[in-house]
Amino acid sequence: MFDWIKSKNYPEFWKNYVAEFENKSNRYVILNTETTGLNPKKDVILSFGAIGITEDVIRVNDTLELVILQYKYLHDNGLSNDFLMESKLPKFAEPLAIEEFIKYIGSATLVGHRIHFDIEMINEVLEKMECGKLKNEALDIEIMHQKLYDITNKSFSLEELKNAYKIPQSERNFALDEAYSIALLFLKLKSKLGFK
Amino acid sequence: MNTIAENIAIFLKEYAPFNYLSHDELVEVSNSIGVIMLEKNKTLFKIEDKLHESFYVVASGVIHLSFIADAEETMLNKCYAGDVFGLRPFFAKNNYMMTAKAREDSIVYAIPIKIFKPFVSQNPNVLDFLLESFASNTRNSFDKEKRGNLITDTIYSDQTSGEIQYFQSLSYNKTPLKIASKAVVKDVAQLMTDNLSNSVIVIEENFPIGIVTDTDFRSKIANGRFPLISTVDKIMSSPVVTVSENVSVAEAQLMLLKHSVSHLCVTVDGSDKSDVKGVISEHDLVVAQSNNPGVLVREIKRALTPKELKQVREKLTDLIQSSIAKNIPLAHIYNISGEIISAINKRAIELAILDLGSPPARFAWLSIGSQGRKEQLLLTDQDSILIFEDVAADKYRDVKDYFIKLSKRVTTILEKVGFLYCPNGHMASNMTWCKSLTDWVKQYNNWMKTPGEITDEMSSIFFDYEIVFGENKIEDALTEVIFNNVKNNNLFFDYLGNDTLRKNPPLNFFKKFNLEEEGENKGKFDIKTKAIMPLIDGARLLILSMQIKGVNNTYLRFKQLAMADPKYSEIYLSCAEAFQVLSKYRTLEGLKNDSTGQFINIDELTKIDREKIKAALVPMKELEELIKDRFQLTQFS
Repeated sequence: MFDWIKSKNYPEFWKNYVAEFENKSNRYVILNTETTGLNPKKDVILSFGAIGITEDVIRVNDTLELVILQYKYLHDNGLSNDFLMESKLPKFAEPLAIEEFIKYIGSATLVGHRIHFDIEMINEVLEKMECGKLKNEALDIEIMHQKLYDITNKSFSLEELKNAYKIPQSERNFALDEAYSIALLFLKLKSKLGFK
Repeated sequence: MNTIAENIAIFLKEYAPFNYLSHDELVEVSNSIGVIMLEKNKTLFKIEDKLHESFYVVASGVIHLSFIADAEETMLNKCYAGDVFGLRPFFAKNNYMMTAKAREDSIVYAIPIKIFKPFVSQNPNVLDFLLESFASNTRNSFDKEKRGNLITDTIYSDQTSGEIQYFQSLSYNKTPLKIASKAVVKDVAQLMTDNLSNSVIVIEENFPIGIVTDTDFRSKIANGRFPLISTVDKIMSSPVVTVSENVSVAEAQLMLLKHSVSHLCVTVDGSDKSDVKGVISEHDLVVAQSNNPGVLVREIKRALTPKELKQVREKLTDLIQSSIAKNIPLAHIYNISGEIISAINKRAIELAILDLGSPPARFAWLSIGSQGRKEQLLLTDQDSILIFEDVAADKYRDVKDYFIKLSKRVTTILEKVGFLYCPNGHMASNMTWCKSLTDWVKQYNNWMKTPGEITDEMSSIFFDYEIVFGENKIEDALTEVIFNNVKNNNLFFDYLGNDTLRKNPPLNFFKKFNLEEEGENKGKFDIKTKAIMPLIDGARLLILSMQIKGVNNTYLRFKQLAMADPKYSEIYLSCAEAFQVLSKYRTLEGLKNDSTGQFINIDELTKIDREKIKAALVPMKELEELIKDRFQLTQFS
């Protein structure tokens, strides 16, 4: 009830986003974010790479790749912003980038490596923008791997997982390339775990 | 910009037909691609599945294309990275005619037909490639210089064994009845009846102008349309359909269908303005199809001299060669060639008996070793044994004398045909291997109960046998003895198992081929002893231990094992597959050099062939482990 009253103040894109959850989606969005560090309170997102999977097929035309302009942050922390300047990818200011991102993911299930960290990072930004938290379901490939082998006391880096499942390495390291590797990993894990 | 699409475009650029497209076009194509991950043994599409909206390119891994013939899965082709397959939706509307299955974990790109079609119509090179790829019946793996392999996408429409018939030229009536156009119908009918012929060619100056068949008599004479005294040109079918000499079965069939006629006239140059050479009837085609390579067998049955048999054997070599080039599964070729060689052996015995007079006792002549397994394609040596029924003691000498004389004759004939004498003397002409049933039973008992102790070396080839001539009951008796001895006979399996494992490994520590270090074959790879024999021995060992009777060849043995012992079926099936691959390379080598193909010159192979051989050596290791484990071969080995 209060939710309903509050929702009146949300930006338009957020209302649309919430509305999408009325229908269950069969789409997965594989997400890889690059951040300046591991502290959601202090660090910021530098870029998104995301790719969609429907019916167990990675759709090359269903991708999102964008860079967030974080001049201020980088300047304040004395970091180089050469990488931002050189990148040919579409560049957005933070709120706009998040808006694009929210529109892109819709109600899909999010998949990533330690996805909850990515979600936390995004939620931080959403809070600043006076929106709610992400409502998407999320799957973590690290947990999927642990589940498959019934390991609970060991963590696995993305590199380790890629090697373990013989995922071809890409030479360049864009956020989207990484997302693609995660997508391949996800499909393997998904079929090994046997869930639909 | 989409970096994934960029990466895929860069990958595709390396392979035909994508190398005909520009980078920007490829990026456009790549943008619409779906990436599919196939786990080992997962099926992408199978026979009779509805066509997908995409065709496929292998990004990594191996995809096998296969189809089912005679209720057996037959491999058509393997697709490696960059290979294109599943082109059917481009050219046909009906369902898939083959199965695509991942042999190992693989990634494939699905390219939507809708997106790719414009590029096909704009770019003739691409169209040519795809068409060729789709229609090509030839195996391209031997044509490695070509970048981007063609993967055949069509399959033989009828049973593959029947496919062989098409390589042979047709045998037909080369002395047709010929008659002038003014001959009287009644006389013609009498002539045909006298000659038991259902057709006659009407000629003018030796050129065919028409043909009269039984049908013409029915539809024009018997119903009273023309009187019996008409001239034949009134009732002949004209013009006659002509073909040239050396027409193939396939072509002849096509002509008959195209013109909906029952007879073809063969002329020197194939036109109706040249001399008549013969006539082909529907019946000839039926014979060619139902009896082929029965034609060879028939020739064998009629042969009277070793020389004639040798000619048939040479024809068989051609047949094998063209069959391999046509990518017919090796199992089928083995079957056919096994039957033909068997027939040659049989005829050789018949010829010897015709010479010597009928045998004084019943007997069985068994082929042993490779021919016993029906795995002989090349001119290898002959291995055989002879078993005759027990006779009264006072007759024994004479009977044995007769059979040794007979065997000597037979082996001499076979030698003339081209089968070398066995260097180890494993032939029925050897006194030791030509004896009575009781003696043979004793022999097998000795071998199996106290293996390795008796001075007679026991050779495993005695456990692969097939009757060629004589009493089936004698063969059955032998089988009975062997399988009785198999029960709870650990010693025997110990011996056989160790014998199997004793071979030197085919690859050294550095995954390089272990080549011959000395002798005339220095620097070559002994594919027979190091790669094929372990599989043959392993299959025999396991089949004996499971007491499965009646399966005599290695490929079928593995298939049978996979059914009888489902726990390890994967190992067995990959062994069956590996056996085919290795045998194929051996056969190719043998055909190339007219040798037994035992030693392969590794340097002459392309890298891909070398890798294929190496890959085929992998299942052997698994099989060895399985044997070690099953028979607990640790005490001696």
